[in-house]
Amino acid sequence: MGTEAAAAVEGKAKPRTLDQQRKRLGLYMTLPAQLLLLFIVAFPLVMQLYVSLTLWSPLDGEDWYYAYKSFTWFYNYIDLVTNERLWDAIGRTVLIMAVVVPVEFLIGFGLATLFVDSFPGKRIFYSILIMPMMIVPAVAGYMFFMIFQSNGPLNQLLGIDTVWLGSPNLAMIAVMVADIWQWTPLMFLILLAGILGVPEDQLKAATLLGASWGQKFVRIVLPRMKTVIVIALVIRAVESFKLFDLMFIMTKGGPGVATETISVWIFKLTFNDLDWSYVAAIGLSILIALSVFAIIGLTVMARASKRMNADVVD
Amino acid sequence: MSSIELVGLTKRFGDLIAVKDLDLMIEDKEFVAILGPSGCGKTTTMNMIAGIEHPTAGQVLFDGVEVQNVSARRRGVGFVFQNYAIFTHISVYKNLSFGLEVTGVPAGEIERRVADMAKLVRLTHRLEWRSSRLNVNELQRLALGRSAILGPQIFLLDEPLSNLDAAFRAEMRTELKHLQHQLQQTMVYVTHDQLEAMSMADHIAIMDLGVLQQFGTPLEVYNKPANLFVANFMGSPSMNLLPCRITDEGGEVVLDFGAGGRLMVEDESLLALCKKAARQDLVYGVRPENVTLRRGEKEGRGLSLGVNFVERIGARSIVHLGETDHEIKVLEGNQSPTKVGETLDAVAHAGASHLFDAQTGVAIR
Repeated sequence: MGTEAAAAVEGKAKPRTLDQQRKRLGLYMTLPAQLLLLFIVAFPLVMQLYVSLTLWSPLDGEDWYYAYKSFTWFYNYIDLVTNERLWDAIGRTVLIMAVVVPVEFLIGFGLATLFVDSFPGKRIFYSILIMPMMIVPAVAGYMFFMIFQSNGPLNQLLGIDTVWLGSPNLAMIAVMVADIWQWTPLMFLILLAGILGVPEDQLKAATLLGASWGQKFVRIVLPRMKTVIVIALVIRAVESFKLFDLMFIMTKGGPGVATETISVWIFKLTFNDLDWSYVAAIGLSILIALSVFAIIGLTVMARASKRMNADVVD
Repeated sequence: MSSIELVGLTKRFGDLIAVKDLDLMIEDKEFVAILGPSGCGKTTTMNMIAGIEHPTAGQVLFDGVEVQNVSARRRGVGFVFQNYAIFTHISVYKNLSFGLEVTGVPAGEIERRVADMAKLVRLTHRLEWRSSRLNVNELQRLALGRSAILGPQIFLLDEPLSNLDAAFRAEMRTELKHLQHQLQQTMVYVTHDQLEAMSMADHIAIMDLGVLQQFGTPLEVYNKPANLFVANFMGSPSMNLLPCRITDEGGEVVLDFGAGGRLMVEDESLLALCKKAARQDLVYGVRPENVTLRRGEKEGRGLSLGVNFVERIGARSIVHLGETDHEIKVLEGNQSPTKVGETLDAVAHAGASHLFDAQTGVAIR
């Protein structure tokens, strides 16, 4: 009896099965990476939240952890909501997104449909087409900065002397052109992959059933590419929201603040004004806003894909 | 009315000649099978008839009218793909109605015709399903129905049964033949399965390496193969083909099989073939079911060979005799008494022997 009880106690003391042991080992093995990740993600976030609730600036001559001395609760956030410069920057950012993403999508999709069938020189054209994407955005920005100079090649070619980067509306257009030039290739690549994923046999079958090119496109290619299209649009929308390099090099947000996007404004606040607590508040607000959009978007997408995979269709 | 005529049809893919100088006449309402091993050019031929592939040279004529310049979309040819190419992202109903919708048939008529076709291919209870949910047998019927609903006069089927399970394949064979009678269409059927070709087709076109080997009724190609390829390809187990030399021994015609033995030619039809032979080197052919195994036959009346093994496949037994270069197979009954190790005389039935020119492979007739 006694030995049995002892055995039972001992059994209770080490309940670990092989599986549990493995899991524990896994935890130990990944712990360094997890700690690192925690440090990289969580720590800056908490620090950002902390600083954003103060009026701390590096000009104060105090280290950031003494920021509580100028603690102001939500002053930065309230100021932010009423700051027209923010709303203008958001407006411009959204405007750029609303113009460049659809244009890039349409051109990219058009080019992609041309590249489905083979034609002489396809490889060369393909390489040329995706080249802009490979160029460092800062370099591309500088290139367009040169092109759009008042005495630059564009004006010389057209025989006009328009001040592109010096006038608010034209500067916006110039930056959009640069962005479209640089990022249409990405759209093209993603959409081409999507188009090539449409089973060729189904397209042949549709042809033999009498479908025209347009009918095949609408009835087979588009529905089959839904997911790819959404992914391409989301990637570009997010990227264009973060637009910085091109804009900063071409206009620095100018003339005045006429082409200031959110990224450019944050850059100026950070490095010109050194108003870091305010920047922390902006960054956090945008993170939260974008997260909300992302969650809404993902929910919509999940619902759509659930409907697509439903067994019965209407 | 829809006949298909192929004249000098050739298709090259770079250096590869997929189809070479093909002439073929397929009559109206005929069921023709194009039979051959993989890579023989049968699918390419079919694609050229449908207009998916453009011939490098030659013509395709429907009812005597050239159609090379008519796009696939307007040829009005029904086509069933090997993998069915069903539009899996839409419902069964939408698949059936696809051809009608894109050609602008009024809504009311679409509904009626889809209902009729669904009944014919037994998919009425599946109409609302997403078509990706169908099993392979249903997909097959949907593929047929989707093409048939447009009432094409010419129906092309590319190995439509190769993905099906064996039991359903037999059922589908009958059903296809039945469907063809009902729809009164000209059907071209590509297959590598001789059983499908033999059982369904009015005529069989046998192809190899892009070249038409023989065109004839199933019994013709089986009983009178035009060359060694057809002889070897048709029939299971395949025809016994033995290289031999023809010699004359004091007025008697003798076939010398080397180590396999010698055969005095007494069968009159074989004698007639021997006389037509232009060369000495020949290939002698006889189907396994046209050979009888006997004991104690007179020298030279048959080939004396040792039994290697006996395959009992149910209704029949296949007896394997002889050595590598003169190995033969003989079909015997279910209760065959033949045992391994016996030495027996294989005697061909009268009139059942074939002779082929060893060099060209062409049958001597």
